Parts: sequence; C-alpha cells; structure tokens
Amino acid sequence: MKTETRILGIILFITVVLLAGGIFFLSKQQSLQEVKGTATVQIDYSKGQKAGPDSAKIKLVEFSDFQCSACAVAESYLKKIRSTYPDDVQIIYRHLLIHESSKLAVSVAEAAGQQGKFWEMADRLFETQSGWSQLSDPTSFFLNLVRELNLDENKIKKALDEDEFKVKIDADMAEGQSLDVTYTPTFFLNGVKLNLHRFEDLDTLIEEELNKK
Amino acid sequence: MIPSNLSNRLVFIFSLLGLAVAAFLFYEYTYANSVYCLVGTGCNIIRNSPYANFLGISIPAWGIVFYLIMAILALLRSHSSENQFLFRMQILAATVGVGFGIYLTYLELFAIKAVCFWCVLSFIISILLLLSVILGKKNIYENGN
Repeated sequence: MKTETRILGIILFITVVLLAGGIFFLSKQQSLQEVKGTATVQIDYSKGQKAGPDSAKIKLVEFSDFQCSACAVAESYLKKIRSTYPDDVQIIYRHLLIHESSKLAVSVAEAAGQQGKFWEMADRLFETQSGWSQLSDPTSFFLNLVRELNLDENKIKKALDEDEFKVKIDADMAEGQSLDVTYTPTFFLNGVKLNLHRFEDLDTLIEEELNKK
Repeated sequence: MIPSNLSNRLVFIFSLLGLAVAAFLFYEYTYANSVYCLVGTGCNIIRNSPYANFLGISIPAWGIVFYLIMAILALLRSHSSENQFLFRMQILAATVGVGFGIYLTYLELFAIKAVCFWCVLSFIISILLLLSVILGKKNIYENGN
C-alpha cells in the first residue's frame, strides 16, 4: 500500500471516529438543567386550545405550526402525555405560523374546535401532513377530514369564508413574538421556556415537575 | 488542468469538509430543537419544511453518505491513481452530488422560499468537488495514453 493511501486512510478513519463520537457525545450531554431556561415568563393562559383541566399542576404551552414536520413528531409525544397525565398536565396549543400556507389548516382546526373537536382535527392534520402540505389549495383535502370527523361542513365553510379566526391567530403570533418564540415547536413548562433537543425529555421534565409538588 | 494526484488530494480534503458540514447538520436536524444558522434564519424553516427528508431519510444523512463515498473513492484512487473505473465513479458521484444540490437549491429558492447557510455551503463544496475531479481529467487521460 502506498504511503499516501495509508495517511489518507488514517485521516479518514480519525475524521469518521471524531464526527461519530462528537454526535454521540453531544446528543447525550444535554442535562435537564440545560433544557430548562432560567426565567419564568408570563403567558396568557386564557388563550389557546386546551387539553386537560385548568386545575392541572402543570401547564404545557406549545407554539406550533400544522405544516412543520418537527411539530408532527412532537404531536405523537403530546398525545402520549395527554393520555398519561389527563389530570396533572394541561396542554395549551398556540399557533405560530412559520408557513404561510398553514393558515388554512389553523382555521380548519379552530373551526373544528368550535364543534368540540380541535384535538381530533389537530391529530388528523399532523397525521396527514405529507398529503396536504404541498398542495396549492388543500381546501378539499381538509373538507374530507371534516367529513371524516363528522363535523358540520357548512359551519366550517362559513368560518373559512369569513376568515373568522384571523384575530385569534394574530394574537397568538403577537404573543409568540413577545415571548421570543422563533421556531416551532417551542414549549413552555409552567412558564419556563424549554430548549428541547429530544422530545423524550418532555416526559422526564413533567415527572420532575410533578415530584416537586 | 492539475496533476491527478493533486486533484485527488483536493477531492479528499473537500470530502472531509463536506462530511463535517453534513455531520453538523445531521446533529442539528436530529437532536437540536433549532438549527444554528451562521448567516440568516432560513435553516429552521428548511428543517421544518416537508422537503427536509428525501425518501424518508433526512437530507444531512444523504450528505454524510455522499461525502463518505467521495472520500472513500479518493482514498482508493490514491492507491491506483490511473484507475479509469475509479475516476469515472468519482465523476459520476460528484455529478449526482451537484445535481442533487441544484435540486435542493431550487427547492430552497422557489418552493420553501428560504435559504439555509449550511445547505449553500454544502452545495459550494459539492461544486468544488466536481471541479477538482474534472480538473484532474486531462491529466489522467494523458498519463493513460
């Protein structure tokens, strides 16, 4: 074997080991202290779509966008949290539209919420995200979801035509900006902003918070 | 034109640079809640877009595979610099890399309408890789004849 080949081989081997080791090390090192911010911020808990009772010990606010793929991943964890801690955790869903085209999805979900099925619609929107996110006009796709959930289609259409939720969406966006939310999903656990690297940490943080009280 | 061994060394160096960028982005895509964007703010928009994955695998993972293949081909060519098959594989892989980069840049500009610094950097590295391979082309054929 040529000397140059041997040297390049060693360099490549060291590079691969360093990069793989670096990724492994960085993915493990984030402690829960790093995940949680230090400051508690004031959030208007009267706003947003809620799952769980107002008396819950933990309020988990999520700023999310139906078209964001990371939010769709987060949704499966939130579903689990909703079923594991039905009385202890109140999840509050707030809108932060990163994608302009997700505004229609937000309106559909809010209109479903008027008929008591916000979370069902939110779950379906996330589950079918890849089916509608690239459509130039996903209206008929959404109306299929409306029919699937046995919602009053005419009421939903009327709400969409009248852009009924504009004020609500704008208010969420404004509060998100005032809380310095720049990406989705962003979580606040009892007013503390989380810098999650893994959604699995949500469960650990909730357990820790519950044990405090 | 440059000597084929120099061209091959450049390919190796650019492959390692690309590998570092792709590995960093892979970490940011997989473990971080937000992507650290050295310039601009488009990195998170792109990660959150439906185009962040290709065939169910994240784009940075494809980048790692691409740069690793380029580095391994350069390593093999350092052993037999006149090997036409390895040279053609380098040309093919580098062209596929640049082609994919053009497709991703098109998506950034016209579909997602956001630009990610790290994606642009990776695209530039892939172009430099292709240029490095092409610049050694004449030399290898001259030596081969």
